[in-house]
Amino acid sequence: MKYELVVGLETHVELLTKTKIFCSCINGFGAEPNTHCCPICIGHPGTLPKLNKEVINLAVKAGLATNCHINLKSNMDRKNYVYPDLSKAYQISQYNIPICENGYIELSSGKRIRINRIHMEEDAGKLVHKGGDVYIDYNRGGVPLIEIVTEPDISSSGEAREYVEKLQSILRYVEVSDCKMQEGSMRCDINVSVKPVGSCKLGVRTEIKNMNSVTFMTKAIDYEFERQSDILENKGEVVQQTLRYCENSNSTESMREKEDAQDYRYFKDPDLVDIVLSEEDVNKLKKSLPELPDVRIKRYAEDFGVSKSDAELIVKYKNAADFFEKASKGLQSPKTVSNFIIGQIFRVIETESEREKFNILITPNQLNELVKLIEGNKINMNLAKKTFSRMLETGKSAADFISESDMQEISQSELEEICKEAIKSNSKAVNDYLGGKEKALKAILGNVMRQTKGRGNAQMIEEKLVNLLKNS
Amino acid sequence: MVTKEEVLNIAKLSKLYLTSEELEDAFNEMKGIVKFVNQVNEMQNPDEEINHANELFNAFREDEIVPSFPREKILENVEGGKEGFFYLEKSQ
Ligand SMILES: [Zn+2]
Repeated sequence: MKYELVVGLETHVELLTKTKIFCSCINGFGAEPNTHCCPICIGHPGTLPKLNKEVINLAVKAGLATNCHINLKSNMDRKNYVYPDLSKAYQISQYNIPICENGYIELSSGKRIRINRIHMEEDAGKLVHKGGDVYIDYNRGGVPLIEIVTEPDISSSGEAREYVEKLQSILRYVEVSDCKMQEGSMRCDINVSVKPVGSCKLGVRTEIKNMNSVTFMTKAIDYEFERQSDILENKGEVVQQTLRYCENSNSTESMREKEDAQDYRYFKDPDLVDIVLSEEDVNKLKKSLPELPDVRIKRYAEDFGVSKSDAELIVKYKNAADFFEKASKGLQSPKTVSNFIIGQIFRVIETESEREKFNILITPNQLNELVKLIEGNKINMNLAKKTFSRMLETGKSAADFISESDMQEISQSELEEICKEAIKSNSKAVNDYLGGKEKALKAILGNVMRQTKGRGNAQMIEEKLVNLLKNS
Repeated sequence: MVTKEEVLNIAKLSKLYLTSEELEDAFNEMKGIVKFVNQVNEMQNPDEEINHANELFNAFREDEIVPSFPREKILENVEGGKEGFFYLEKSQ
């Protein structure tokens, strides 16, 4: 039997506030353990939490950017559980009424992955296990989080990857989170089940916790799909359980099950009053949003003549997109700029995080100048590409590599002289060409290009050569 | 009404392991608490949701940093911790 994959994702994202959610300690990564702590965030009795207004602003922005409905009235709840990463023995979260509901993210295929809810909560501390002992750092305790929960709409690991990367891109554009999976500011829990193709009934699902890399997430999904399909194929039953993905063996294993079914005994946190937003508050936040990735992709395709897939590649990284726009100012063909970014800059900066930072030596203006030389027929594409490589290596401008004489547009008579010279000195290629080997023309063409030092336009030279040879 | 099983379950979820006398005490206390809450519920108009004793909402903080506590202070109640961390020894 053929099976199909059903995946839902729960993504935790740390918010880019200056301070924690309920106290004024710094929200920051990488500090000495337990130096961003106070009696509130280490849960001393008698302390009172006070909600950071910026957390609400960022959560609402995230909701608006993912097409969610914003609940004007919501509140914070307590989720009770006893574990050392949470010193109060409860996590302050949202249960019945999340701040955002019913949104979606659209994939490039047009398929929408529905978002069930986005709620606000506090992060827990970090446990470091050493030889069976546990060391606890509460710097992360109380860091503001939003959890973004999808419907089980994802049907391949590729879609899961696209959804997560799109979510990252959106949240970075609206400056809600830096979404650094390797630093833990974005983490995914995956719910996976399989069902016979075409069946409406969902299968038993397993949950894989805490994925901190997109690549491992896709591997975990693929592995779990195979594992569950095999079980069903052999008439077995998938056991509902929580799994951990092991990177080394590329497989999943069961996490030790708690003896009891989870019973979080949620109730409204009596220390915190209701959150009431006005339509006006929400509209203000809506107006403050920057242009979102989808709108940019559309604009690049429609106004700049860039293909949709190229636009997607660039828009994915806000810094690359900003660079593209600046470098395209006043040009006839912004497409040339996008070709340089994808064909050359992305070849130098290969990893996701490098592209996100987009730390390159040249400025948008330097690329703009280079493309202007191409558009003005001062240099041809070949020379431009070589020049651009050297610019990327050194941070210098085009003018540092191309002399004034290189940029003089070559005169017809000069070009004709060079062509004639080339025909004279390449008698073998000429004979081959005249004998019917069209390819032999390339050798003569290359010779002329070298002589013109990249000033001539290849197509023009080719035409000239063909004409000269015809009349020879 | 509250049953002994419920009290035991809550104790277990809270990682409390009660002797039979302790269970008896906790059971009696819990009965008292539930009885009191039921009395409060009787006073409440069921059509009216009461969330807080006052009408306050939106008690927010500005997102401004205030220095955290010195680490020695934070770790004071756990005898200084270990290497700057709170520390739990492996249970035998
Ligand atoms: Zn604090």
